[in-house]
Amino acid sequence: MRRLAALLLLVVTLTSGAPAVATELRIMVFDPTSLPEAWSKLNDLARRFEAAHPGVTVKLLTEGGGVDPLTKLRILLAAGQPLDIAILDVLELSSFLEDGLLLDLDPWLENDPAWNEDDYFPVILDAFRGQDGHLYGLPSTFTPYVFYVNETLLAEVGLEKPGPGWTWDDLVAMARRCTRTTERGRVWGLSITQWLQALAPWIWQNGGSLLDPERGVATADSEDTIGAIHFLTRLFHDEKLAATDATFQSQLTRGEFQDGNVAFYGPVGYWEVYRFKEIRDFAWDVCPLPRGKEAATSIALRSYVGMARTEHPELTAEFLRILAGEEMSRTLARIGNGVPGHIAAARSEDFLKPHVPPESEQVFLDAVEYARFLPVHASWREIEHLVQKELQDCLVLGKIDAETACRSIQRKVNAFLQREREERERPLASLLLTVGGPLLAAALLLAGFLLLRGRRPSLLARSEERAAHALLILWGAGFLILTLGPMLVSLALSLTVYTSTTPLASARWAGLDNYARLLSDEDFWQALRVTTTFTLLSVPLSLALALLLSLLLHRGSTVLRTLFHVPSIMSLVALGILFRWILGTDPVEGFLGRKWIEAEEWIVPGFVLMSLWTVGGPMLVFLAGLQGIDPVLYEAARLDGASRVRQLVHVTLPQLGPVILFNLIMGVINAFQTFAQPYVMTGGGPGNASLFYVLYLYKTAFRFQDMGYACTLGWVLLGLLLLLTLVLLGRARGRVHYEGEAP
Amino acid sequence: MRKLWIRLLLLALAAVYLIPFLFLVTSSLAPEGTALERPLSLPGSPRWSNYAEALEKLGAFDEESPLRGFLRLLFNTTLLTLLSILFQLITCSMAGYAFARLRFRGKGLLFVVVLATLMLPMPVTVIPQFVLYRELGWIDTFLPLLAPCLLGGSPFFIFLFRQFFLTIPRDLVEAARLDGCGWTGVFLRVFVPLSTPVAAAVAIFTFLSVWNEIWLPLIYLSSPEKGTLTLALAGFSRSYRVNIELLMAASTVALLPCLLVYAVFQRKFLQGIQLSAGKG
Repeated sequence: MRRLAALLLLVVTLTSGAPAVATELRIMVFDPTSLPEAWSKLNDLARRFEAAHPGVTVKLLTEGGGVDPLTKLRILLAAGQPLDIAILDVLELSSFLEDGLLLDLDPWLENDPAWNEDDYFPVILDAFRGQDGHLYGLPSTFTPYVFYVNETLLAEVGLEKPGPGWTWDDLVAMARRCTRTTERGRVWGLSITQWLQALAPWIWQNGGSLLDPERGVATADSEDTIGAIHFLTRLFHDEKLAATDATFQSQLTRGEFQDGNVAFYGPVGYWEVYRFKEIRDFAWDVCPLPRGKEAATSIALRSYVGMARTEHPELTAEFLRILAGEEMSRTLARIGNGVPGHIAAARSEDFLKPHVPPESEQVFLDAVEYARFLPVHASWREIEHLVQKELQDCLVLGKIDAETACRSIQRKVNAFLQREREERERPLASLLLTVGGPLLAAALLLAGFLLLRGRRPSLLARSEERAAHALLILWGAGFLILTLGPMLVSLALSLTVYTSTTPLASARWAGLDNYARLLSDEDFWQALRVTTTFTLLSVPLSLALALLLSLLLHRGSTVLRTLFHVPSIMSLVALGILFRWILGTDPVEGFLGRKWIEAEEWIVPGFVLMSLWTVGGPMLVFLAGLQGIDPVLYEAARLDGASRVRQLVHVTLPQLGPVILFNLIMGVINAFQTFAQPYVMTGGGPGNASLFYVLYLYKTAFRFQDMGYACTLGWVLLGLLLLLTLVLLGRARGRVHYEGEAP
Repeated sequence: MRKLWIRLLLLALAAVYLIPFLFLVTSSLAPEGTALERPLSLPGSPRWSNYAEALEKLGAFDEESPLRGFLRLLFNTTLLTLLSILFQLITCSMAGYAFARLRFRGKGLLFVVVLATLMLPMPVTVIPQFVLYRELGWIDTFLPLLAPCLLGGSPFFIFLFRQFFLTIPRDLVEAARLDGCGWTGVFLRVFVPLSTPVAAAVAIFTFLSVWNEIWLPLIYLSSPEKGTLTLALAGFSRSYRVNIELLMAASTVALLPCLLVYAVFQRKFLQGIQLSAGKG
């Protein structure tokens, strides 16, 4: 009887647990702040979809929030959040396919009468086919890379916008004519963009390539590839025809082209039209890239994808078809988001926009003929990050020549590909290690503490101890569950290779290899160097400033006190935004001779300067310390005839000893964890000149999903800070005196 | 004479400290695309509508009414802040009292542990915590942001409370004990009512850090209607098509509540710090 009841109960729970809730489609495709018009259209489509499918609700999520959309998507998926539709860059396709995250659309589209393959450019549609030939995404917008030209500047030197078939030699000749100093200032022939997708066309045009996906090796050291990079260094450094303003970070700021100082800007995609539509001072248009040995350009493409985990594949596929349909495509074309993959929309006036610059939208459509995608590879983002430093050192800074850069890229990329292959072959690490080990260790620590804490107290003291236990329970539980436990798990994970989109059980055993990897990881040493330099400059300077301010403000007005503390209550995000802008202004540029963001040796000093603005915290602690000094001491000093300076040296500073030590240690710890400022302001650039330690760790963990190595980095940081603190405490022993202690 | 010299030096320094704020305010009022032309000077006709536009950008996820979207962010941030303050006060005052006034085995060691967690870099624990919250189904809720306030609390605040409670005279405790108060009774009847200054300091510290927090919302909050102001501001700043004037206006908006709270409570705040830190 009882068993029957239990069985009944089970059945009831199981059935009630089945999705009796209304069907919900969750979609994350556009950010409302960056594309408000598309957001409205999306809402419109969603409401109409709901009306056509009673019982279905469509929920729109935003990409926003500081992370790049892809990191956000990765975090959502890693978190196991329900999600049905997202937008995906073609560069990410193979990595998502490899992780089995995408929905195969073929079975659902076949039965959808409104679906027609021929509505789309075949090259663009095929880009989202897997190796099985099935379709995993429907195109949103794409863009081939082209040049933007300032027609007014060309006309000034008697030139005209080049047409199809123009060559590298034509480019050099025209750039030479345009590069000169006018009464407005320096005018450049070129401004050349420098991320991987933008550099690839030069390499392809010269007959080179970056890597051979078939054999899984880099081909960056081939003669043709080196030749292409060499051609660019010639433009930048030998002939000085190219401005160096078009690094990836500076896309966020106003560039030389917008200011009318550059004749040709690119290779770059359609998205710049949106920015450049504000231009009033000169006439501009687009033109195809010049050809080298052959014609070539890259394509950027974003497609709508369904998630394999969706519970409603049919609805998902149908809504995808609507998203990629003519109506949405025309909206995107109208607002200048890119070239629609939908042919009818691309040929409509919504895209071609007669009488609105650029006049030659057709250039984008023509370029599709010879445009290529980067070779399909799972880890483009890692590779891009790896080679970024070499490219910037070579092109922006001119520190190394093309051949050195290419050989270094070749070596790094091959080492990366090799490591990736090896990681796949590593054995799985069992949960016993990653969870069991830490649990056991925590239990041992707890048991050790309980055993070693001394003898059972007397009856009276026992009630006091019980009260203490009750009062400490919240702290203790939190310490065990949220601090000690995670620390130990993190230690275990630092011995593995682990990607967070997968369950913990899929971590692979790596032993001490992650720690060995540190030794040869140039970025790790660079991050350490940047962070140490920053700490060595920023901590002593801010402490000295804080001390000076507190001495001046002691017994001074609270108004001033507030004023000096206010910058410290501002969020680091807002502060970063503000300083990115201040350090990017003309007077700073005039002083440095170039933009702060490009001046490698001024990057860290810039952050130090910013840190001097936020000394409010230590200042308050110093003020509190000053308040605590017994006035009798000063009295005595004065009676002894000590001057103010001597009072400062012999009374104030020794008395402040513990406070100085506290501020020093906390200052070092905080400086080592600098994250928000470089994240908002530079993203680590130029090169890796502002790659702060925690920023590198964040990128490793959440961008590259290399969680195991990120845990290694975390533990190394912990070890370093521990060591530093002990050293500081050790040095302070005997020098810092505490109140009530015999000197 | 010396007084004057100090005052001048302070005023000069203060002016330097004010410049970035001046940048912030003047550029937030400049017409679109003109902030760079004449920085630091108030535009001839301040463009107040920048602020309305900035609010609408922040709340743009609410299709029907961006203003409602903005209010939603404001509400979320306020709710998170208030709950965090409450939780921090509960956990840290209890622990601070235990460490200051009660005798129990292992106290010294445990207090060293508290101080040690003060210097624990947050990246060490972030990944396992993330996995834990995922298993609990807490992602995209406020729980991962609130749980650490109630469970654990901030070691710094525990330290502040302990330092403050150490200054409360023994006689007071003895008297309460004689009146028949238990240890928890002493805490609730004697220590809690006396702890206004330090509680105020902890509350303001928490307010500022939660209001400005970016790391946790970045990782754990994904639905737009669950976002916070700082998160929306960061998103706005990374957005490719942004104009600097609106961004500065949005930054000012996010900063205002902090300024307000700080201005109103700063005396309590300074008092609390002095009381606690004064005794090395």
